[in-house]
Amino acid sequence: MSATLARNDFLRAPMLATARPSGFKEWHHFVVHGRGLRLLINFSLNSEADGAGEVRLAPRVIVIAHDGNWTGAIERFDGRALNVSADLGDLTIGGNRMTVLPGGYRVAIELPDKDIRGELHFTSASRPFVVRNQPLGDGRISWLFVPRLRAEGWLRIGGREHRFEEDLAYHDHNWGRFLWGDDFGWTWGTILPAESGNPWSMVFLQTTDRSRLRCLSQAVYVWHHDEPAAIFRHAAVHMRSDGLLRRAADCTLPPPMRLLLDGEVPAVPERIDITATRAGDRVHAEFRSHSYARLAQPSEVRLDRSTVLCEAGGTARASGTINGEDFDFVGTGVFEFLYG
Amino acid sequence: MAERISSLLRRSVEHLEGEVPDSYRLLVAELGTMVVEVDVDGEVFSLRGGDRLAVSDGAAQTAGARIVTSRVTILDLLDARIGLGEAVETGNMSVRGSLEDVQRAHDSLLAYVHAAVRTSTQPGLLSELRAGAP
Repeated sequence: MSATLARNDFLRAPMLATARPSGFKEWHHFVVHGRGLRLLINFSLNSEADGAGEVRLAPRVIVIAHDGNWTGAIERFDGRALNVSADLGDLTIGGNRMTVLPGGYRVAIELPDKDIRGELHFTSASRPFVVRNQPLGDGRISWLFVPRLRAEGWLRIGGREHRFEEDLAYHDHNWGRFLWGDDFGWTWGTILPAESGNPWSMVFLQTTDRSRLRCLSQAVYVWHHDEPAAIFRHAAVHMRSDGLLRRAADCTLPPPMRLLLDGEVPAVPERIDITATRAGDRVHAEFRSHSYARLAQPSEVRLDRSTVLCEAGGTARASGTINGEDFDFVGTGVFEFLYG
Repeated sequence: MAERISSLLRRSVEHLEGEVPDSYRLLVAELGTMVVEVDVDGEVFSLRGGDRLAVSDGAAQTAGARIVTSRVTILDLLDARIGLGEAVETGNMSVRGSLEDVQRAHDSLLAYVHAAVRTSTQPGLLSELRAGAP
């Protein structure tokens, strides 16, 4: 497992963005399903053109946490604050650092202007999986995910310090060439059991057109202990969303984007229901949104539009039968709804 | 002494013209030839449309829309502590003019924000705006 992670998870930007920078994006995303706290950490690189048409990588660090309410920050750095190690396993953005280890990841967060600091160590508890070249509008995205890790460490945010000890976590690494605001949307989610000894983990992704009326691809990934137990794709998966969460976003980041979004962006579904069946295996997962944060960025397709990612935390229940083994657990979910 | 709001706005639109020229042109088209008079904590200045945007000190002789607000309210809006509608409803911002001109001023504000969030220099100006808060 360790060798698989080290072999597959490395920074692509020095090769792919150097060869053809236009539209290139890459980010490492971590979600901690902490006891009472949801935490999202994101290191991202986005190719952006300046007024002279010169394309450069804009590094950003995003940290948001839910402890009663979502709060956090998106910090954009100058390109000179970016460094990628020669072995492509170490990404530094200002005082922030993400290192791919043989069996996990080490993350250091240093955003002193936002009073956000932390050090976390993620140990992989499941085999990673790579999905390549999925269409997004006129572009493509590839992603590697680790459905379950264990998080240790601490984070200071919102004036409070949080400790993590054997908390369950999720990681994905995404890279590709596409434009924010192109004709696509997505719903992605990680579901992990509340009881850390429960061996089941689930990941869901559905990509659609911008209007979210036409499904382009979808899959449910179910891991048992550290191995993939079942992967349901395409027509084997049915996802239904019900209602709209009757509360506004806890926060909008970067904050000035609220001026552009209020009254413009749909909220998150109140409930997501996913069913999947294949070759005798079946799974049913239900996610109930409790609250969400909005992360917004300018559309790269239209100068008068924004792309919005709603990060929703909530409760989840999953049940089914896979390889003849029944399971039924309650847990937590973090779902992301992208509106182009 | 804190930099005047009019000076910050003048520098801001100059950056937009150089950094995001397409977005700047959209803003120019949205504002048209209208003049917006702004009063921030008693500092009065005008944003004038036309082929290029111009910020001039003092009251405008003829303004399509007149906005009165405070530096604190502008920061509350930019920090997402309040929404634009809430700022108006609570009296922290007043906007006067014909419905058509107020609508145009609003659409121009959105075009300005769309342009500003596409630049890398505006956060520095925001820090200077923040430095002048009471």
